[in-house]
Amino acid sequence: MKFLIFFFASLTLCSNGQTATEILEKSEQKMRGNTLQAEMILQIVRPGWMREMSIKTWMKGRDLAVILVTSPAREKGITFLKRQKEVWNWIPALEKTIKLPPSMMSQSWMGTDFTNDDLVKESSIVRDYTHRIIGDTLIDGRSCHLLELLPLPETAVVWGKIITAIDKKDYMEMMARFYDEEGTLMNSMYGYDVKMMDGRWIPTRYEMHPADKIGQKTVLRYESILFDRPLEDRFFSIDQIQKIAY
Amino acid sequence: MWLLHLAWRNIWRNKWRTWITVSALSFAVLLSVLAESLKEGIFDNLIKNVVGFHTGMIQVHQMGYQEAQQLDNSFRVNDTLQAKLLSHPNVSACSFRLESFMLACAGDKSKGCMLSGIVPNEEDKVTRLSEKLIAGHFLQSGDNGIVVGQGLANKLKLRIKDTLVLIGQGYHGAMAAGQYPVRGILRFGLAEMNDHFAYLNLPVAQEFLDANDRATAGILLLKKDDDFILTRKQLAAQLGNSYEVMTWEELLPEMSQHIKTDSGDMRIVQWILYFLIGFGILSTLIMMMLERKYETGMLLALGMPRYKLILVLVSESLLTVITGCVIGILLSIPVIARLHLQPLRVSGDFAKAYERFGFEPVFPASDHLHIFYTQGLFVLVLGILLSLYPVVSIMRTQALAALKK
Repeated sequence: MKFLIFFFASLTLCSNGQTATEILEKSEQKMRGNTLQAEMILQIVRPGWMREMSIKTWMKGRDLAVILVTSPAREKGITFLKRQKEVWNWIPALEKTIKLPPSMMSQSWMGTDFTNDDLVKESSIVRDYTHRIIGDTLIDGRSCHLLELLPLPETAVVWGKIITAIDKKDYMEMMARFYDEEGTLMNSMYGYDVKMMDGRWIPTRYEMHPADKIGQKTVLRYESILFDRPLEDRFFSIDQIQKIAY
Repeated sequence: MWLLHLAWRNIWRNKWRTWITVSALSFAVLLSVLAESLKEGIFDNLIKNVVGFHTGMIQVHQMGYQEAQQLDNSFRVNDTLQAKLLSHPNVSACSFRLESFMLACAGDKSKGCMLSGIVPNEEDKVTRLSEKLIAGHFLQSGDNGIVVGQGLANKLKLRIKDTLVLIGQGYHGAMAAGQYPVRGILRFGLAEMNDHFAYLNLPVAQEFLDANDRATAGILLLKKDDDFILTRKQLAAQLGNSYEVMTWEELLPEMSQHIKTDSGDMRIVQWILYFLIGFGILSTLIMMMLERKYETGMLLALGMPRYKLILVLVSESLLTVITGCVIGILLSIPVIARLHLQPLRVSGDFAKAYERFGFEPVFPASDHLHIFYTQGLFVLVLGILLSLYPVVSIMRTQALAALKK
């Protein structure tokens, strides 16, 4: 879920004389809005095989999110609810809602390159890191700010350092690299296919590459996206995720 | 020839002495055959037990499965593969399994478990799984229920007809979630298995894990367990590079190490035994030479060449030692046969401990032919080496000194 969150964590940009934090906040505002509804396709690419999943997602602010799997058939209807730092999972085959235990947080989310933990923690990108502009770069012909994010002391975060590139004009997050505490590159994420969607320019395809696994990636493609439509808080409830698929 | 004749007559000149030497030798052979045969028998039994729990003598996997035991490294079960495996002359049955680690839940409790999709009939041939049943009934083919280990059932407070929920990741990262009625409860000797194992029918497990027609391992039942190394080699050559064929020694390296260490310990005990036997034989020889000191002195004084005397004595030793070994082997045959057919049974707490681990509380003796001749040969060589003593003794004998009383 790094993508999603990144995406939501960064998307505004007005360049010239802004601080790194402002850039990130704008980027986040642009990519996430106040609320967001999206349909996307997740493609899990592994050496020798590939799998596709369609999901629908609803988000409100940083703390509330619902993800519904709409295909393939055997996984249809599986729903995840995120409220603050907790994640619940509705499994139609069992007719049960499961709260993901801490032990499952580091496991892969639905077989992707994201962990369950990514669903919960990445939202703190603005709050839990210090931000610094370290230069400019050109990605796909777009001029971007290059930002370095370092975790604040005493915050429980996954990464030791994040380098991210944010488009100067449209505040899109075009690239992010995640490093561990030793400074080793762990994951790289790239944005592609910038299109106008619901009135905003956004990269409609993100790819996440784990650094140590060759031939392995997860691709996230936006099919549709709606920003700032009203969504009530009670939509993000355990009762709701049991009904949402039907 | 007359030397041999003389030796033979010499042997029977003092019957008691000869019988004592012969019986020392045959007893030595009997003891060492018994020790070796029990050692082999006990370890064979241990291997059979441990391997029969779950692992099997030989397993076939997708290449790389042993390194990374996950569903993505499973293989497709097809008729050609099955035919290839079963056509090997030493393979009598093959049981395919699809295994994966899952979260098992019931009520508000959850526990990690090892889910194993099995073909009940085939699995029963290899591991006699249904004999472990303590409640309910075993999986029938086509049954969509689940059979669980007793420890797992207790931890989840499961009883027959309760529903067990399984959650985890299936083949290629698919979500796996399902619920299954508990049909039976199994008790395993090993806590590891008792607390973690759950069995579904293979097709049910395949559907649950989105792994149609796939299996993570094929477990082979052999006609002759002893030939497992050869069988593995032949199968590996036949199946090619996309499969790995592994023996229990590779699958359970700790167990194989343990047996090697233990049999090393036994080896030391055996050497002590040989040492004792050696001294026993040596003492009869020393006694004999002492008794015949005058006689040898006389023969030398009469002008018998030393080498002829030595030949006589060596022939005597050879005849005695060979007789001893042959009698020893003949004696050990009925003893080993009896211990092989009716193994020693341990009793009391020891037996209970054994049974808890699912072992039969017996110490069977191995009836391998090689034990008889290797042990017989060993004592023979020992006897021949020791009969060098009379040779040395004669070389040293001075006729005059020997004749002085």
